[in-house]
Amino acid sequence: MKRRTLLKAAGAAAAIGLTQRLYAFPNKPATVRWWYHFDDPKASPDGLIAEFEKANPTIRIHAQSIPWGGGSDYDTRLYTALIANHGPDTAMVKLRNLPQLVEMEVLLPIDQYLDGWPGKSDISDAIWKLHVAADGKHYYLPLQYITTYLYLRQDWFQKEGLQTPKTLSDFLTAARALTGTDRWGFGLRGDSGGVDFWCTFVIGGGAEFLKGELSTPAALAANQWYIDLYRKNKVCPPSSPTDGFLQTINNMKAGRTAMTIHHIGSANQLTQELGDSITAVPVPCGPAGKAWSTYGDGSNAIFANCVNPEAAWRWISYLSSAPANVAFNKLAGQMTVTTSGAKDWNLHPKRFVDATTQSLASARTLPLVEQTADFVRTVWPQTNQEELLGQAAPDDAMRKFEQIFFP
Amino acid sequence: MKGRMKTVLVTELPMLAILAFALGPWLWMLLSSIRPERDMTRTPLMIWPSTLTLAHHIELLERTSFVENLRDSLIVAAGTVMVGLGLALPAAYAFSRFRFRGRTTMRSLFLIINMFPIVMLILPLFILMRQLRLLDTYFALISAHATFTLPFAIWLLTSYMDGIPTELDQAALIDGATRWQTMRFVILPLVGPGMVAVGIYLFITSWNEYLFALVLAGEQVRTVTVALQMFIGENGINWGLLMAGGTLVGLPATVLFLLLQRRLVGGLTAGAVKG
Amino acid sequence: MNKRTTPWLLLAPALLIAGLYVLFPVAQALSMSLHYVNLFHPRTRPFVGLTNYLNALSDPVFWRSLFNSFIWVFGSVSMQFLLGFGAALLLNRSFAWRGVARALVIVPWALPSVIIGLIWTWMLDFNLGIVNALGTRLGLISSPIAWLSRPDTAMVAVMLAVVWQGFPFFAVTLLAGLQGIPAELYEAASLDGASTAGKFWHVTLPGLASVIATALLLRMIWVANSLDLILVMTGGGPGTATLTLPLHAMLTAWSGGNYGKGSALAVILTLILLGGMIFSLLGKRKQ
Repeated sequence: MKRRTLLKAAGAAAAIGLTQRLYAFPNKPATVRWWYHFDDPKASPDGLIAEFEKANPTIRIHAQSIPWGGGSDYDTRLYTALIANHGPDTAMVKLRNLPQLVEMEVLLPIDQYLDGWPGKSDISDAIWKLHVAADGKHYYLPLQYITTYLYLRQDWFQKEGLQTPKTLSDFLTAARALTGTDRWGFGLRGDSGGVDFWCTFVIGGGAEFLKGELSTPAALAANQWYIDLYRKNKVCPPSSPTDGFLQTINNMKAGRTAMTIHHIGSANQLTQELGDSITAVPVPCGPAGKAWSTYGDGSNAIFANCVNPEAAWRWISYLSSAPANVAFNKLAGQMTVTTSGAKDWNLHPKRFVDATTQSLASARTLPLVEQTADFVRTVWPQTNQEELLGQAAPDDAMRKFEQIFFP
Repeated sequence: MKGRMKTVLVTELPMLAILAFALGPWLWMLLSSIRPERDMTRTPLMIWPSTLTLAHHIELLERTSFVENLRDSLIVAAGTVMVGLGLALPAAYAFSRFRFRGRTTMRSLFLIINMFPIVMLILPLFILMRQLRLLDTYFALISAHATFTLPFAIWLLTSYMDGIPTELDQAALIDGATRWQTMRFVILPLVGPGMVAVGIYLFITSWNEYLFALVLAGEQVRTVTVALQMFIGENGINWGLLMAGGTLVGLPATVLFLLLQRRLVGGLTAGAVKG
Repeated sequence: MNKRTTPWLLLAPALLIAGLYVLFPVAQALSMSLHYVNLFHPRTRPFVGLTNYLNALSDPVFWRSLFNSFIWVFGSVSMQFLLGFGAALLLNRSFAWRGVARALVIVPWALPSVIIGLIWTWMLDFNLGIVNALGTRLGLISSPIAWLSRPDTAMVAVMLAVVWQGFPFFAVTLLAGLQGIPAELYEAASLDGASTAGKFWHVTLPGLASVIATALLLRMIWVANSLDLILVMTGGGPGTATLTLPLHAMLTAWSGGNYGKGSALAVILTLILLGGMIFSLLGKRKQ
């Protein structure tokens, strides 16, 4: 779902120097190579490119669609190309890889372009806050976003006389009430995307990504509560340890689970199948009133090797400005990042848009540090699966995570 | 009548059982590709479709680049077969017919090529191809595929050639033929079945190869394996297209083998040694 | 062209291309295994000698992955061989629809790993898969099984998929080998009064010996190195239940960025396969 993003910090001095030279010749003819990925293989950015080139006759956009393949294919291509010095000028990237790209020094900071960009105010401060790198600079230009929320079968909730769960304990009560023959209260993801669920339950439930706070008694209790959803309370299907996006969404569609966590990207396919019986609400909060909704971005970044960063900036800022951004996200099936565009957003039913915008307040990302990518892809899934299967002790796992983030 | 009965029991029934195993999943895929996508999430599972639809196949062939991708895959696979056989045949002949110093070492050396996991070589190979300016060309993929299938091709062909008696070579040489002519006119016809097996192996391996096709090519040259990955998106898997694509992607190799399998006939019959 | 140089001339083209495409990357990988190489810190590459190897070997996950690889290779290849050999024997006989049968048997082999992985994952799905649906309806299993989520059944599941994929390789390779056995040998054996079983043991098997040995060796090396199917179906999970050595190497390098250690793991895998090959070659020499 949310994948690593690649950000590269270029030598700032060289970059600024180059940019200033190019500012002096704004009409120099340029080709901008841009990598993107759309879920729908029939969707094409050609319309947007044509419109852009008409308004900017000296710039040609060479767009290349790279297979997403679950995320790792896109990343493999991008990494390999960047390491071999053969990457594009700009590409769609994700926050999760920001730390690594910064380390690799392949990104161009865009702060200089942001100051004075009219479209900046059309993107909410909450979103800008999430896009700052650890060194305080901006490398990513937000293009689309999602935040996770809780899907629930409101028809079943009504039938059982249950209220929308606001806290985690409400959530457990509802899940238990809705578990029956061939039906489970909650579809849990055990594959690497499941870390988002874990954050909602465990960080929301009392842990925190700060030194010492992944192994406090409250943190350990939250993790145990989460594991017990599967092991003790059995509100999740037996296949949960390796269930991924496809399984959790299909289980919702098939009427096997009552709730699960995902984001607006799947709203349309669920509504197509379930109609009004499916709705979404912000994720429940923990005992301290803290909630964790995972913020997932799609952003554009400019790479240090870009020959004409000014032209690249024109293209990506066009994509992140109101009319084009709305059109782009209609193609991508994600949420527009512009506030003005969100007002009349009609790609998804209103209740899902509301759940998304309401969740922005508690939207967070995993720590933007180097270890995160490996944590998400390998360490967390392996360890978590072992805990779910009873092969590893949950408390030990939390201490292991503490060690990884705060050695 | 008794013979026919025996054939059915001893040969045809077990064959059907094996084919049922081989084709079962593929047929299930075919069925999924001609029914509405929502059938997939019905419980309890509905085996027979409620309605049939060709929409997925039509969409695949008309509105995606699948046909071009098939063409790219075909070119790469055919190239791999030709280059692979062209390199492996002489090498196999050398290993089979000559006893020279370093023979065993060389044979083993080729095998070692396949012992290293390719995924760890992809980065240096990308850099190499880039320096040779070969990225995103048919040649890049054909040569990469041919290289990594070479060990198998050589070893298999050597095995098949070992089954051909060396007396045939001697007879030709005594008659004044050169080594080249011996290989071309005596050995080659007899190693026909072996070449079919190796040829199909080369074709299929190249056809299904994914990692090189993704990294070393991808824009101008995009094979079906890479194209299919386009259907696996962030927010969903385009299941209908994937099933349609999956059903079609196995057909070229199958048809090819259907045409070639007639050559899988015993090459050595009495009287093959011409005077 | 004299007798000494001819074989080398024949080998030259193959050697050249292999040298170019393999020698250089492998040398690079070997070099990386002796350095600290992190994909995301490209500037620093200190020489660390055998540290990566020691780290790799002292990691319990390595030993788990080695164990998994062992089961994966020997278990699945033996089943692929048996099924493929049976198919080859049948396809060698004459019956009316033999041509079609031969072509259809290769369908599993002709599919890309990602398709095979996806279709088997779906067929084995807990709630929506046909295996559970048919299994319970036909009474073969009492309740649905979470095939890919249980450590005991996950390995069985991925092995089933790779056996399905791989048995046609043996079918075709051995069928071609069967064709190479001269008909006179069978006739002679019949004249000597040999039974069907006798002909099998004394004509078929010896005639096929070389091809069988080669096919087994090649297929074992291929399966040992493959990770596509497992990656798609389980990602190595649940936990480390299906994590094989090449997958472990890849994840170490690409997910963790620890390219040095990943290269070391790949070299270890290569050495193990090399050792196995030498061992089997020595065994053959003794005969």
